[in-house]
Amino acid sequence: MADTTVLTVSDLTVTYRGRGRVVAAVSDVSLTIDAGRCLGLVGESGSGKSTIGAAVQGIIPADGTAEATGRIAIAGRELAPLTDPAWSEVRGREVTSVFQDPMRSLDPTMTIGRMLNRYTGSAEASVAALERVQIRRAGEVLKKYPHQLSGGMRQRVMIALALAPGPRLLIADEPTTALDVSVQAEVLGVLRESIEDAGCAVLFVTHDLGVARHMCDDIAVMKDGTVVESGPAEDVIARPSDAYTRRLMASRITLDTDRTRPVGAPEGAVVASMEDVLRGLERPALDVAAAWSAGDLTWQDFTGPTASVGAASGREDVHLVEHVTRASLAVNEVNKTYSTRVRGRRVDNHVLKDVSFEIGYREAVALVGESGSGKSTLLRIAGGIETADTGTVDAQGVAGEGTQVVFQDAGASLTPWRTVDELLRERIEHTRTGRGLSRAQMRDMARSTLELVGLDDSVLDARPTQLSGGQQQRVAIARAVVVPPSVLLCDEPTSALDVSVACSVLNLINLLRHSLGISIMFVTHDLAAARLIADRVLVMTGGEIVETVPAERLAQDITTDYGRRLVDAVLA
Amino acid sequence: MPFSRRRTLERVEAAPTARRDSAWSALGPGERTSLIAMAAIVLVAIIGPTLMPYSPIIPSGSQLLPPLSSGHVLGTDVLGMDMATRLVAGMQRSLLAAVLVTAVSAAIGTFIGVVAGFRGGWLDSALMRFTDLFLAFPAMIIAMAIAAAIGQSLGSAMIGIIVVWWPLYARLVRGEVRRVVALPHVQAARVSGVRGWRLLWRHVVPAVMPTVVVTASLDIGAVVMTLAALSFIGLGTPAPAPELGRMASDGMKYFLNAWWVAVLPSVTIGLVAFVFNYAGDALRVVLRRTGV
Repeated sequence: MADTTVLTVSDLTVTYRGRGRVVAAVSDVSLTIDAGRCLGLVGESGSGKSTIGAAVQGIIPADGTAEATGRIAIAGRELAPLTDPAWSEVRGREVTSVFQDPMRSLDPTMTIGRMLNRYTGSAEASVAALERVQIRRAGEVLKKYPHQLSGGMRQRVMIALALAPGPRLLIADEPTTALDVSVQAEVLGVLRESIEDAGCAVLFVTHDLGVARHMCDDIAVMKDGTVVESGPAEDVIARPSDAYTRRLMASRITLDTDRTRPVGAPEGAVVASMEDVLRGLERPALDVAAAWSAGDLTWQDFTGPTASVGAASGREDVHLVEHVTRASLAVNEVNKTYSTRVRGRRVDNHVLKDVSFEIGYREAVALVGESGSGKSTLLRIAGGIETADTGTVDAQGVAGEGTQVVFQDAGASLTPWRTVDELLRERIEHTRTGRGLSRAQMRDMARSTLELVGLDDSVLDARPTQLSGGQQQRVAIARAVVVPPSVLLCDEPTSALDVSVACSVLNLINLLRHSLGISIMFVTHDLAAARLIADRVLVMTGGEIVETVPAERLAQDITTDYGRRLVDAVLA
Repeated sequence: MPFSRRRTLERVEAAPTARRDSAWSALGPGERTSLIAMAAIVLVAIIGPTLMPYSPIIPSGSQLLPPLSSGHVLGTDVLGMDMATRLVAGMQRSLLAAVLVTAVSAAIGTFIGVVAGFRGGWLDSALMRFTDLFLAFPAMIIAMAIAAAIGQSLGSAMIGIIVVWWPLYARLVRGEVRRVVALPHVQAARVSGVRGWRLLWRHVVPAVMPTVVVTASLDIGAVVMTLAALSFIGLGTPAPAPELGRMASDGMKYFLNAWWVAVLPSVTIGLVAFVFNYAGDALRVVLRRTGV
């Protein structure tokens, strides 16, 4: 069946060398894809999946920074794994691609029509090509520039462009990762249908097993540059044989995940934190990892006494309250308008319109909404980064001090030239708890909080750049809870992380929430993550809260259009 | 305890020397050469004059000896002063003046730029309009006018250049500060409760400094040239003090029968400017590695 095999990769090894270091990105990988089949290449960052995607497009530069050996054959034609002149006859014709960010891969100086007509030959054919990717009013779209289209539309145009030359092989590298979650499902649907029509072979690179299962016939799971498991999609998903695949599967959260228990497989750092918490609560020690694996561990086991102020700081004056009525965060009729000048005229953008809500003591609330709905502005106002035009925000809860924020990009939220100790100390210094404490006492607080988030005290004197993405996020969380806040505001804290790391961060937030008794406001696009953390989900549209749904009944009760799209976006 | 807690916590492997090594190894051969050349020039400028056998302002041989004469490697000038000695002394003078001018301009400009960018509002507008005032005049003309007004000396030339030089830094730094203030790490520090000067000093200024240092090192070459130009047209150091621009200017008269008197100082000016410019680029590569 040699004539139906479109892509053959055998024994591909790619090594990058830079600044005296040699990194093997891919070692000894072999793959084949037949015409009309879709192979999903799944793995976390650094697994080598994108390098394979680059190698089969011939875009690994032959300038000495990379070395590659092995065979690549596309439609029966032998090609070198590094760029050479032969590739230019193949690339853009036999092999085309859809990249992650359509804004960067479309030419901003050209109309869609000019780009597309080069392949289709005529405006009529271009209209037909756009209609195939379900773009309505294609004639108008042809006259537009990329920046005039929405993200979802751009990616559809990208798909149309990629399929226009009639390729034998299509590379889709994380084609929906950069898009708003609510349009991801639509774009994936369009991609799926168009590639079925086109009948080409597809290499689908993704970090998301759920998306891979939805899109692909076969799946190859990659880790550290090698394929650890491959086979038909359903088999790999339903009966993963490799331990890593199983862990990846367990890390996936859906709308059916049990929210009363930790998710995923037991993980060293979180287990350590849990033991720490149990010791702090003076509960009997138990084999946390075993209980977790057996599914016997619930968040209830870690719930600290009500209003135990200063649990993380180890202070003596822990005072207990039986019943708390005061809200931890009360947002009252908050308005915010941004004004810009467009061609000399003032344009007002009313971002928040009389927004009011409360977060109770120990309660967790998720705020979902599309980009521009005002949810991030609300978080910034609650966090004191911006001020409201009118209305009040009260974060004087019964326990904890003020609000703290965990940002989306933890790496960027840590000042690169300050040590972790200095960063944590800064927070302690500016609280009532920290008043009058010596440097050594503050360092002890920092140390015990780092332990609580699963980091060794060697991290204290490290700078953020020396830490991995997951470690940075944990340091950011440690800074936020070293003096427990009344409300912890989380701004998409997991969206930039790999699934397994995201999973452990979610577990950590849940653990801290239950053991420290802090309230949480969780801003996100990801309904599955929102449901896992929050008791209530608020849906925001156009600067207003339009819907409040209990997390338990999220999938059933959510009614707004945007909410439904978010539910659809969580691919089971 | 069924688990050893120590073992499951994550550590970082700190390698204190790794950063410096990799900064050096990130540089190409040209950039390395430029940094070494810069160090060499600075060294010669500092200790060179004390090693020279002659005085730069007392004639020590016959007039207009060509280069490679015995006892005078680079020859002598029209008064019989040793060229090599004068060049080294002139380099010291020019570099010292240039470093001073650049440092003072950068300090004034950085201060004003930081205040304007961080405070914003009316203070920002006021400071920036004030800055624009200086930028509006042609730099060379202002410097000439000031130098001419205070009198002919190296000091007045330096003051003239500082007056026209600082606004560039103010502009640059203000833009950088405004960019940095919007970065997540500054907002995160605000959330931690850090405010005012402390926020500025700890979280904003360190991000701006690499840009200032790189710009300053690039500027040193330009300031050397400008000082030389002012001296060349008679507004800098009076004769017979060794100053490269002055030497080039005076030597022009004898260009046809003693080329070295004019050419050697000119080449030295060019060399210093070139090396500092190139080294500034290398410095940028090193400093940019911190991110932000």
